[in-house]
Amino acid sequence: MPFTIVTPNGVLYQDDVEKVTIPTQAGEITILEAHAPMVSIIQAGEMHIHKDGNVVPLAVSTGFMEMRPTGELFIIADTAERAEDIDLSRAEAAKARAEELLKQQDNMADVDFARIQASIEKELARISVGKKYRR
Amino acid sequence: MALSTKAIKTRIKSVKNTKKITKAMEMVSAAKMRKAVDAALNTRMYARFASELLDHLAGIDDPNYAFLEKRPVQKILMVVISSNRGLCGGFNGSIIKKASALFHDKENLARHRVVEGEETIPSMDNVEIDVLGVGKKSVAFAKRHDLNLVGVYDELSETPSFEDVLSISNTVNARYMDKTYDKVVVLYTHFQSSLVQEVKVRQLLPVCAVDIEKMLADLPGEESEPVEVFPIEQYIFEPGLEQIIEYVMPRLVEIQLYQAILESSASEHSARMVAMKSASEAADEMVGDLTLAFNKARQAAITQEIAEISSGAAALE
Repeated sequence: MPFTIVTPNGVLYQDDVEKVTIPTQAGEITILEAHAPMVSIIQAGEMHIHKDGNVVPLAVSTGFMEMRPTGELFIIADTAERAEDIDLSRAEAAKARAEELLKQQDNMADVDFARIQASIEKELARISVGKKYRR
Repeated sequence: MALSTKAIKTRIKSVKNTKKITKAMEMVSAAKMRKAVDAALNTRMYARFASELLDHLAGIDDPNYAFLEKRPVQKILMVVISSNRGLCGGFNGSIIKKASALFHDKENLARHRVVEGEETIPSMDNVEIDVLGVGKKSVAFAKRHDLNLVGVYDELSETPSFEDVLSISNTVNARYMDKTYDKVVVLYTHFQSSLVQEVKVRQLLPVCAVDIEKMLADLPGEESEPVEVFPIEQYIFEPGLEQIIEYVMPRLVEIQLYQAILESSASEHSARMVAMKSASEAADEMVGDLTLAFNKARQAAITQEIAEISSGAAALE
C-alpha cells in the first residue's frame, strides 16, 4: 500500500507498507491494504508503520488522514518525527514546561488550556516513541 | 579644468560606495531567498495533498456547512500580501497594481464560480471591499487610497512559522463565520523561478472547488495528473462528516494562507536579489562611463597646460 506522510516541512516518509496504526480522535485504528476510502482526524500520539516485518514508530501531532479510493494512504500532519530524530531530554523539558504552565494558571481561557493540554499530549507521544528507539 | 576632474572623482567614489551596498544586499537576499524558497517548496507538497483533500470535500453540495455556503456577496475581504521593506524591484508595485485593478472590477470579483461555467448566484450591487494588509507596503497602499483597512500584520519574520500565520487565519475564519464578509480572497505573488513571479488572486472562503483546482494546477508536483473526481459518498468519515468538515476546513484555510505567505516571501527575496543585481551592474557601467569622462577631462587639462606653457614660451622669444 503506497503510504505518504507530509508535514509543512516536507515529505517525511514515502514507501510501500503493509499496515499502519494511527491514533485518531475516535481511537486507534489500523489501516490495511485495500481499506475503504476514509477521512479521519489524527490526534497527537504514536503511529506505527509496519513494513517487511519491521515496525517503525513515529510521533505525530494533530492533522488528518485520507485513504483514497486508489488505495493510497496520506497522512497530513502538523508535525511528525522519527524516533531517531527525537531529542528525549528536550521533549521531557518541553513536557515539564507545559505542565508547569498548566498548574500556574487556574483561570486561563479554555483555548489556552486546550492548547497546553494538546502540547503535553504531543510531548508524551514524542517521549514514548523516543524511548522505544533507545531500547 | 581641475575643478571638473575633482567633481568627477567624487562621483566615481560615491557610485562605487553605492555599488558596495547593492552588492552586499544582493548577497544577503540571495541567502535569504534560498531559505525562503526551500520553505515554500517544502510546504508545497503539504499544501498539495491538503488541497486535494479539500477538493474532494468541496464536492459536497450542502449549504448547511458555512464554509461551503455561497452567499450573495455584499462585502469582500481582500488579504493583500506584500513585503515590509522596499528596494525589491517591481514586487510591491505589481501586487498593488493588481489590487487596484480588482477595486475597479468589484462585480467580477464578487461573482461565485462553479465547475460548469459561470455564476449561479447573482452578486449584489455596490459591493464593498475591505483590505487586510500583510506587510507594510500594502498597508501604506490602503492608507493612501483611503481604503477600509481592517487589519494590519506587519511583524511577520522573514521565514514565518505556521504559528505566526494562525492569528491571521483565525481572524479571517471568524469574520467569515460571523457573516461580516461573504467572500475572502488572497492576493499573493506566486514564485515560479527566481526570475519569474506572478501575482495571483485566490478565493479562500467559501471553499470552492474551482479555485482549489486552479491552485493545484499552479503547484508543480512530480506527477501532474489531474485529480480524479471520486464520489464523496464513497468515503467513510470518522468520527463524522460534520466533525471532519468543522475540523478540516479552517485548517485548510490556514494552510492555503501559509502557503501564500511563503510563496510571497520567496518571491520578495528573489525580486530583491534581481533588483540589486541589476543595480550593481548599472553602477559598474556608470563607473566605466565616469572613468572615461574623468580621463578625458584630465587629458584636456594637461593639453591646455602645455598649450599655455608653450604659448608663454613663444611670447618670450
